[in-house]
Amino acid sequence: MCGFRSMGSTNKMRGPNCWTARVGSFGLQLIWHFIHFIISTCYFVLGLADAVDSYVISSGLLKKYNDLNLGKLRYLAIGVDSDEARQTSKVIKLLQWLSDIGMKHVCLYDEEGVLKKSKDAILEKLSHVRLFEETDEKLPLDKKNMNLELASPSDGKEAVAKAANLLFTKHLELKSATEDQGENVFTEANMSEALRALGCSGPEPDLLLVYGPARCHLGFPPWRLRYTEIVHMGPLKSMKHGSLMKAIYKFTLVHQNYGK
Amino acid sequence: MPRHVAVIMDGNARWARRSAGHEAGVKSLRELTKLCSEWGIGVLTVFAFSSDNWVRPKAEVELLMGLFERVIQMELENFMREGVQVCMIGDSLNLPKSLQKLFADAEEMTKNNSRLQLIAAVSYSGKHGIVQACRTIACKVKDSHLELEDFGERLIERELETSCSEFPCPDLLIRTSGELRLSNFMLWQLAYTELFFVRALWPDFGKAEFIEALLSYQQRQRRYGARVS
Repeated sequence: MCGFRSMGSTNKMRGPNCWTARVGSFGLQLIWHFIHFIISTCYFVLGLADAVDSYVISSGLLKKYNDLNLGKLRYLAIGVDSDEARQTSKVIKLLQWLSDIGMKHVCLYDEEGVLKKSKDAILEKLSHVRLFEETDEKLPLDKKNMNLELASPSDGKEAVAKAANLLFTKHLELKSATEDQGENVFTEANMSEALRALGCSGPEPDLLLVYGPARCHLGFPPWRLRYTEIVHMGPLKSMKHGSLMKAIYKFTLVHQNYGK
Repeated sequence: MPRHVAVIMDGNARWARRSAGHEAGVKSLRELTKLCSEWGIGVLTVFAFSSDNWVRPKAEVELLMGLFERVIQMELENFMREGVQVCMIGDSLNLPKSLQKLFADAEEMTKNNSRLQLIAAVSYSGKHGIVQACRTIACKVKDSHLELEDFGERLIERELETSCSEFPCPDLLIRTSGELRLSNFMLWQLAYTELFFVRALWPDFGKAEFIEALLSYQQRQRRYGARVS
């Protein structure tokens, strides 16, 4: 009886502690969700402000956006989430905007190669766009034409692995032909050369605009991203002309030290 | 919470001239290390010195090397007490011999610590890291540890210096001072990393800014390249 009584008292003592712990835990969760709600509301308000800003820019009311100085933006890359890249009409519209702004060299990338598969549909709608071949690099473009490169992971990490295999073959040849151990084969310059031999060495973009839900670069070819400015533009379905102009304008103001 | 956070600690020189900015930056690093440790983040990688930074004035470079030595010496006891494991990635051959030894000793002393892995990228270049991984693979094949057909993406990833970590690819990258680029940092590893660029200069980056970065990370839909059905 005493044992039962003492267990009951212990349970009664545990009871309030247990309740306190539960209430405390619930309270903390509530606070966390409240903070997330506040942050989401802030992002919503910022999104609204961005939409208004974009409309004003597109209307041409702000003079500084009307005549963009594209001297610093020689090569622009657009990364698109693969699910969104299937909206070919949106991609075509984006390219048309870029062409109207005066962009001459654009790289389109997605992580599943969807854009490469849509190549014919894109070129059919944009007669003044031609596919970028490395041999064309030095040919002048006339005012209206735009060079378009389509990239996918096969031009990125896969290409680096293939280039490494090329260098390794060279390393073995050197090793058997001379006493040189051949490890000098593995240099950044030789890697760049091997990528060029594979046809996977486009220029390093000055600016990469990423359209998609996640704020990451989606696996864009790593060898070409050293000093690329990266801007997340939000989902492709919500793309705005004004936001595009603003991102490009902001880039023209950037100053890079390149480590100095 | 992200398992691995990477930080490009930019803005010390803009915050204050001469050594004051870099000294203030050390305080921010100390606080961030403490927060990561307390909040259960397993790995923190910090970009302390790029291979491109060697072109800076000699006086500044020497100041930074001296600062790194002082920080390691001062903090080693804290690291042991707090369970912080120290690792260094980058081309250590360019560092002063005394600093190379300090890093080696710190890595050895802290190798069994498991609360937080602090990876310092010093004299580091993302491109050089990729090339170095390929060179290592070539040596292993030469020594018959590998067959040639094994040379692929996954193998390169395994031989990158960040494979010293259980979580080699960061979930979240924070860059301070308003710059929007990777500057040759972890080019291979950052494919699906949430990128958070913040205007604050590194010495002004504190708890509030870190919470903002974590909340932004938690808001995003992350698929790591997979398809959401």
